[in-house]
Amino acid sequence: MSGGRILVVDDDPQIRRTMKATLTARHYEVSDSRNGEEALDRLRSEPYDLVLLDMNMPGTGGIETCQLIRSRSDVAIIMLTVNNTERDKVEALDAGADDYVTKPFSMPELLARIRATLRRLPQGPDEAALQQLTLEGVEIDLPSRQVTVRGRTSRLTAKEFDLLSYFLIRSNKTIAHRELLQAVWGPDYGDELEYLRVFVNRLRKKIEPDPSKPRFLVTDAWAGYRFHLPH
Amino acid sequence: MITSVESNIHSSSEGILQKTGRLTTRLLLALSLVASITFVFFRLIHLNATSVGFCYLVAILVIATVGGLTEATVSSVVATLCFNFFFFPPIGTFTIADPKNWVALFAFLATALTASQLSDRLKQQRKDALDRRREMERLYALSRAILLTDTAQPTAKQIAHQIANAFECPAIALYDRNTREVYLAGPEAFSDIDAIDTKLRESAIQSSVLREGDEILITPIRLGGEPIGSLALTHASLSDAALQSLLNLVAVGLEKARVQDEVNRAQVARQSEELKSTLLDAIAHEFKTPLTSIKAVTTDLLSNPEESLSQQQRGLVTIADEGVDRLDRLVTEAIQLARIEGGKFQLNRGIHFPSSLLSIALRQTKSVTDGRNVKLQEADDLPPVFVDAELIVLMIAHLIDNAVKYSRPRSPILISADASEKGVIIHVADQGPGISEDEQIRIFEKFYRGSSGQHLKGTGMGLAIAREIIRAHGGEIWVKSSPEKGSEFSFSLPVAPEGGAE
Repeated sequence: MSGGRILVVDDDPQIRRTMKATLTARHYEVSDSRNGEEALDRLRSEPYDLVLLDMNMPGTGGIETCQLIRSRSDVAIIMLTVNNTERDKVEALDAGADDYVTKPFSMPELLARIRATLRRLPQGPDEAALQQLTLEGVEIDLPSRQVTVRGRTSRLTAKEFDLLSYFLIRSNKTIAHRELLQAVWGPDYGDELEYLRVFVNRLRKKIEPDPSKPRFLVTDAWAGYRFHLPH
Repeated sequence: MITSVESNIHSSSEGILQKTGRLTTRLLLALSLVASITFVFFRLIHLNATSVGFCYLVAILVIATVGGLTEATVSSVVATLCFNFFFFPPIGTFTIADPKNWVALFAFLATALTASQLSDRLKQQRKDALDRRREMERLYALSRAILLTDTAQPTAKQIAHQIANAFECPAIALYDRNTREVYLAGPEAFSDIDAIDTKLRESAIQSSVLREGDEILITPIRLGGEPIGSLALTHASLSDAALQSLLNLVAVGLEKARVQDEVNRAQVARQSEELKSTLLDAIAHEFKTPLTSIKAVTTDLLSNPEESLSQQQRGLVTIADEGVDRLDRLVTEAIQLARIEGGKFQLNRGIHFPSSLLSIALRQTKSVTDGRNVKLQEADDLPPVFVDAELIVLMIAHLIDNAVKYSRPRSPILISADASEKGVIIHVADQGPGISEDEQIRIFEKFYRGSSGQHLKGTGMGLAIAREIIRAHGGEIWVKSSPEKGSEFSFSLPVAPEGGAE
């Protein structure tokens, strides 16, 4: 049984070969592309669960490819890069990536990240109640992962959806950074504050009428975040 | 340019002869005018003496306006004599019968001379005004030329040429104190260029006006009272005001060149810095790409179930895996080192928990701390810090590496973090031989190596660089040590601002 369909996008043939061999052995279905253009073509014709995207590629670079993929699909994306700076991480996540792994990485680490990215929040009994939600002109349709603000509809990626669901179930309660990271990304996470910052900002852009002055998804300095649900 | 110089040469060698010739001609013309008036009124038209006198005056005014003071004065005297001889009775003699006529004659002479003088002064003023205008035009041309200097040649050289052009100077030497060069211009050469060179430098240093022979003036160029160069001019027929304006213009021109030069140099430095960082990125990419494949393979093999590899195979793959880690760290450190040693490194700051920085550093140094008792002690509720995570992790890893290297095998290493008013303090302590007091100061100097560490191989990441990193963060680094008890390195990190903590 397949663990999921993965597209490896890297200009280095050796990395593509290694990834194909190791990931196939772990029961993933793996295809590969040499560059961003090829990857976009493949994504148009075949469905994938996850894209492993190299950041430094000639031609359409990793960041641009990531933005292009994100503009038409909510497939999970993990960026791979040799740089480990804060700026690069934020740039990758801002472009729409779900996670970020620094080269060289160990295979168990990458597999853990893949599992965490593909991991879905288990559907609790509370979630059934949260089918549709209308808050002050903002419509959140959870089953179809669609949000409509002032007539503008956008789709949430899987991770954004999980994060939002987690918030909604615990609305009006402050949730600590670590709890959020471990619940949504997995037990190996907890220190990656930049993930939360970027994902919360991404959510705010989709659900807040004015993302710079959030009314629903508010920051509780030092402590965490809180979803403010008006009664 | 050359033609004007030729005319200059002519005027100097044959000028006097020509001038005398021209004066004689003008004198003859003036006198013939006086003679004609005398002839007309004596022989052809008979008028009273007063009318004739006026006619003489008109003629003298014309002579003074067209000619010069000499012709007008000579004509005045001659006209007075003629007036007396031909028109005052007794006619035909220089004697005057009526004393009233003496008065008239002297009044006539005085009027004629005064008119000549006034007219001449007017002419002189007009000439001065014309000269001034010409100077102004030349200064204007020069100022335009200075503004439009290009970068193909040194600006001072172009300015020297422009002065020679605009003021028709046979020879110019301009000394620019900034470049310490003398630039020559003009169609002629200085006869003793070495003397000029010396005096130019002297003038620029002493800020004083000097002379070389009769014709060469050497004057300092000042900007805000400070001499920034000097200028030597031959045949400087400039008014003082024009010379001062010229010097001011040159000063502005030289200053403009200096500033431009500085801007260019800064730009070149910035571009080379950018090039360096692009190059380092490319190197990082080139080295890390093959390492990625190897690391993926070794870790994949090692993560397979126990029975898939024999004991010996597992051992060999572990060696390869550790080798990859070491290479990766070396490449990362070499690149960081190059980045920091460039002097101008930018911090890539973000908000991080001290615990995550410590755990990453411990993960990175796993291969060296293997088999050592490493204890981690963190105070509760440490606030997040605002740091360049990559650099700080590198630093902690380096301190751990040092602690392992400079202490006995199997002795414990304690890593701890606590909060103080200085920020979050991280300590790395070992139970090694310790560091003597005078060494404690010197270990933060560049290229210093502890006396006990001569035989150890280093990664090149010195404590001096660790100190640079901490200083850039606005923190402090220090060491506490006592012989045979061990050393403790500590550094402070700034706490993240409350507003930025999300």
